[in-house]
Amino acid sequence: MQKGKTSSVKSATESHECRLPLLKTCCSWAASHTVLIVDDEPVTRTAMVARLTRLGYRVLQASDGKSGLELLRRERPDLTILDWMMPELDGLAFCDEVRRDPNILSSQILMMTRYDQPEQIAEGLARGADDFLSKAATSYEIIARVQAGIRTAMLIRRLEQVTEQIRRKQDLLERELQSAARYVESLLPAPGTLLPGIEMAHAYRPALTLGGDLFNVVRWDDHSLGLYLLDASGHGVSPALRSASFSTFLREDSLLNQVGSSDPGAILTEANRQFPLTEDGNYFTIIFVLLDIRSRTLFYATAGHHGAFLQRLSGEIIWLSQRSLPLGFDPTNVYQTAAVPLMKGDRLYVLSDGLYEIPSPDGELWGQPRLEATMREEGRRPVAEVLSHTIDAAARWHGQEHFPDDVAVMGIELGI
Amino acid sequence: MSTGGSPLSMNPVFRLDEALSRVDHDRDIFITMVELFSEHGPKDFAVLKAAVQAGNPSAVAQSAHRLKGAVMQFCASATFASAKKLEDIGRAGQLTDAESICAQLETELADLLDALQQARDTGFGA
Repeated sequence: MQKGKTSSVKSATESHECRLPLLKTCCSWAASHTVLIVDDEPVTRTAMVARLTRLGYRVLQASDGKSGLELLRRERPDLTILDWMMPELDGLAFCDEVRRDPNILSSQILMMTRYDQPEQIAEGLARGADDFLSKAATSYEIIARVQAGIRTAMLIRRLEQVTEQIRRKQDLLERELQSAARYVESLLPAPGTLLPGIEMAHAYRPALTLGGDLFNVVRWDDHSLGLYLLDASGHGVSPALRSASFSTFLREDSLLNQVGSSDPGAILTEANRQFPLTEDGNYFTIIFVLLDIRSRTLFYATAGHHGAFLQRLSGEIIWLSQRSLPLGFDPTNVYQTAAVPLMKGDRLYVLSDGLYEIPSPDGELWGQPRLEATMREEGRRPVAEVLSHTIDAAARWHGQEHFPDDVAVMGIELGI
Repeated sequence: MSTGGSPLSMNPVFRLDEALSRVDHDRDIFITMVELFSEHGPKDFAVLKAAVQAGNPSAVAQSAHRLKGAVMQFCASATFASAKKLEDIGRAGQLTDAESICAQLETELADLLDALQQARDTGFGA
């Protein structure tokens, strides 16, 4: 194998022979480009090396397919001119190797051959050649084909560079989103006993793009507590931050100061006033629940949120649903509180729509009926297990590692 | 490739002007090519002849193809045509006429090597 420039060859510019416009263009353009010539026949190879060196290209040469492949991997030339017929590793096998190797698969290959049958051209293209060059080609044709190949190589290199830049930025963004997701998780309540006889478990799976789901508990006194689950529209850091900001409003002391009541409808009415639509049209949906142990009553109000239900000991499921606008659409809107009597053994599930609006690989949503069926199948197993198994079932339906939206769910066992 | 004579060259074995134009009239390179061919051409022919004698069609096709590629660089039409015939019959697996074509090629190759050497000795007509 020989390598490097052929030193005895004068460049076309040096010998003032750039007469053709194409040749002039080539000479001024070629210096920064490398061409690898792989041909076992030394006379042909020498002639081609000479031609391209005179045009100003940096020319590498290899006398067989194997050493050519090594040179290609090491030097990453802009273009490889390859003989079709060579012993051992011929041109087609060379192409196979290149297209199998992810590090060099985008290499541009100009196959040099006398073959001009359409079937053979088709086979060459199918095996990975990008273009063909006749061994009898004129200088003019060689220049044109080499230039075309290198132009394509430059475009592919640029595309690879841009793709790599995008991938790095995406990695950075995902790390930031994961960091934001950890912050959101730090805001979630600790599972366990909320009040005597009231146990809570929860699960939170942030989407890869980070959503704005957040839930928490407000301890009013020894016999009542509030629960909420809010969802900021959109995905990314912005809705997560808006949810975090909203959660500050929903803290116990804040609600007492700004609303002066634990009534869910009053809380959402004030929230609606304070959190209008953003300039780009983003908003919140929320359900706020008040559990009153003494009166054994569940009070709730919703703003565009439909993801909460009571599961009776009998298995009956009662969705806590109201026709209501999301927050921020109408600042004068008054949100109403509804009441549901509680029974011993009830379980309350408050969840984001991300749990049931999960598409299968062919686009069909999992839906509330499948969610209900799954939870019924779980029977009276501990709430934490029910949540875990339900999310697993949803993941199986989705068929992918990450959910498309945040999945947040609280399960409360009412042993009162 | 035309097999007729070129007005640019009076040599009946190869067309010097056309061959030089393929390397942009770089005589240094052309001399290198002649030296390479003088060294490798006879060896390649010996491989081809052995393949013909062994009746190995694929080896005939492969070695004739290699020789043909080198001869093409010198625009030696008759030698090229004989090498191509051997490649074609080797590829077709029909070696009936291979020995006679090979003998013809041997003569043409010797003539080409002589002609190239003479041209070199006279400075390629410079």
